[in-house]
Amino acid sequence: MKKISTILLCKILRWIGKILGKGSSLPGKIALKICPDILERIKLPPYIIAVTGSNGKTSTVEMIAHILTENGKKVAWNKEGSNQIEGVTTLVLNSATLGGKVKADILLIESDERFARYTFRYIKPTHYVITNLYRDQLTRNGHPKWVYDALKDSIYPQVKLILNADDPLVSCFGKDHKEVIWFGAGKLEQDESSFSGIYHDGKYCPVCSHPMEYSRFHYDHIGHYACTHCDFKRQEAEFEVTNADLRQGTITINGKYDISLQLKSLYNIYNILAAFTVASLVGIEEKSMVKAINGFVAKNGRVVTFRLGNRKGTLLTSKHENSISYHQSLRIAAACEAGCDVLIIVDAVSRKYFTSDVSWLWDINFERLNCENVKRIILAGTYCHDLAVRFSYTGIPAEKIQVLETVEQAHEALNNDRKEEIYVITCFSDKDKFLQRVTQQ
Amino acid sequence: MRILHLYHDVMNLYGEYGNIAILTKVLKSCNIETEVICCGLWEKPDFSSFDFVYMGAGTEENQKLVLEKLSEEKEAFQEYVNKGGAALFTGNSFEILGDMITEETGKQWQGLKILPFRVRQQKKSRLTGDAVFSTSKIREETVGFINKCSCIEGIEIPCFQVLMGMGNEDRGKKEGITFKNLMGTHLTGPLLVKNPYLLLALVNDLIKKERKEGLTLEEKESLEKGVLAESIAAYEVTLRELKKRMEKEK
Repeated sequence: MKKISTILLCKILRWIGKILGKGSSLPGKIALKICPDILERIKLPPYIIAVTGSNGKTSTVEMIAHILTENGKKVAWNKEGSNQIEGVTTLVLNSATLGGKVKADILLIESDERFARYTFRYIKPTHYVITNLYRDQLTRNGHPKWVYDALKDSIYPQVKLILNADDPLVSCFGKDHKEVIWFGAGKLEQDESSFSGIYHDGKYCPVCSHPMEYSRFHYDHIGHYACTHCDFKRQEAEFEVTNADLRQGTITINGKYDISLQLKSLYNIYNILAAFTVASLVGIEEKSMVKAINGFVAKNGRVVTFRLGNRKGTLLTSKHENSISYHQSLRIAAACEAGCDVLIIVDAVSRKYFTSDVSWLWDINFERLNCENVKRIILAGTYCHDLAVRFSYTGIPAEKIQVLETVEQAHEALNNDRKEEIYVITCFSDKDKFLQRVTQQ
Repeated sequence: MRILHLYHDVMNLYGEYGNIAILTKVLKSCNIETEVICCGLWEKPDFSSFDFVYMGAGTEENQKLVLEKLSEEKEAFQEYVNKGGAALFTGNSFEILGDMITEETGKQWQGLKILPFRVRQQKKSRLTGDAVFSTSKIREETVGFINKCSCIEGIEIPCFQVLMGMGNEDRGKKEGITFKNLMGTHLTGPLLVKNPYLLLALVNDLIKKERKEGLTLEEKESLEKGVLAESIAAYEVTLRELKKRMEKEK
């Protein structure tokens, strides 16, 4: 009886919540209060796919859901992205019958890194994708190794681990694990032979702390590495991007599956590859997978094109407190051969919690903007002066840089007839402050 | 002036190199040439000829690694500190200077035993938060962020008084440690960038040793209006935001 009433209550609360436009974690929270073991009492589908990692969780989950749905599978997944145990509880109960059976072929869960150990104590995934572990929101996450230790507790011996072979720390999860499927990128045209970032989190072996050697860097510390002392090294990937042409926007997986990219970034390649790997493992045929991926349009609004007067612009959502996310955007702006003006906004560090910590600005390789393609740079928002201090160490000529305290002033400064395209680089917490002033396309 | 950045490649979680970058820039503006030696994890530091030693924060594992490495150089380093050599240890790097670090599992690590304090670490929850401190060294408040998993007992002379945020012991009002010219604090990251007045106090001390007198008023003024102008503007914004926060939490 308790089970039925808890499920029913959760469904009603979610229904009301949707009408009121509320997030999806509260119903699950209440359900867990009423019946703490509710998740154990639910009959789950044969496939439970979990996705976690610092960057690309949501994009990967969206893509997996799209491929599976396009191929006739019924998928229950956390669309709203509430990825802590409460949100996952809402998802599971909301997808269940009153008898307690999830009405789907596949349960697909995006999980927060730090909370995975609680969520997966009750819901044991059959397939577990770990995308990467980067410096991300250190003001609450501590550091990648801290997150690694927390994630380690969420891995059960029976689960099929699907790991990014190119990320040294993620690779460590595969050590001594029974079943691991590796994905990664092979030799790519744009690889670099030496490290080019600010901090090198792959400099030393995560197992024995001796120096590592890289034969290639795809970006940051992601690449092909081997320890100079112990036997730790990048594993051969069963699912591999064998070619990537970012100008044309095409990639090839395992030498024969060509996919066209909606978002021409290196990072996006990993999301696609992870999704491809998972879908393949649950039995989707490769050709229909390629078709589904090619028809996929990301809905998460991370890249927004707009017009400001006569000028064309693109807003690239980047996560504050996450240098690797910023690097993706900086690469795109720096590659704009037609020439561009770049606006960087740091107005609120986070939308979810308060902090005024800006240490992370020093981890971002803003030096990438020190190039011919970037004509002018505007630094704006509450923390514009911190940005200005950081930029004074980039070698970028001071006359290219303008420092403005409000987004409104930044908008005015860009509202002219310059021919250059505009790139706006900022976070979820700040992007609407700019977008409300321009015409979105 | 010779500056040693200890274990820069592993004790680097929060952009700590910014401290060295701004320090050398300011010294250069005062016409003092600097040489920065970055000592990596597998290199041997030599303490005999430095005017300033710096170490930043790392993961708990890397902290133990550098503790092991520095233990091999303990005598030279201890002599440097005892003779009044200037040093700044930020984040968990200063924890290794004490008697012992005890992990949650009960595992114990012998510290460098340069100062008599004890550290207890846990793995359950990360202790993080913004901070506003005061110190007798300067009139202005010091701002920053703490990100740790430890509690430190037995420190008599701290570096700061806590106005907002965490102290050495959970709710304690004392933060960090001061011993001769060594300063240790759990404030992470580019703390000298965020705190231009603290930086000026440090520069003043370093310059005093070099040329027997500290910064002149003109020099100070020209730094504040020149290379430190943006840094001061940033500091004022952060202090304003944090004070708003303090009011709210009252």
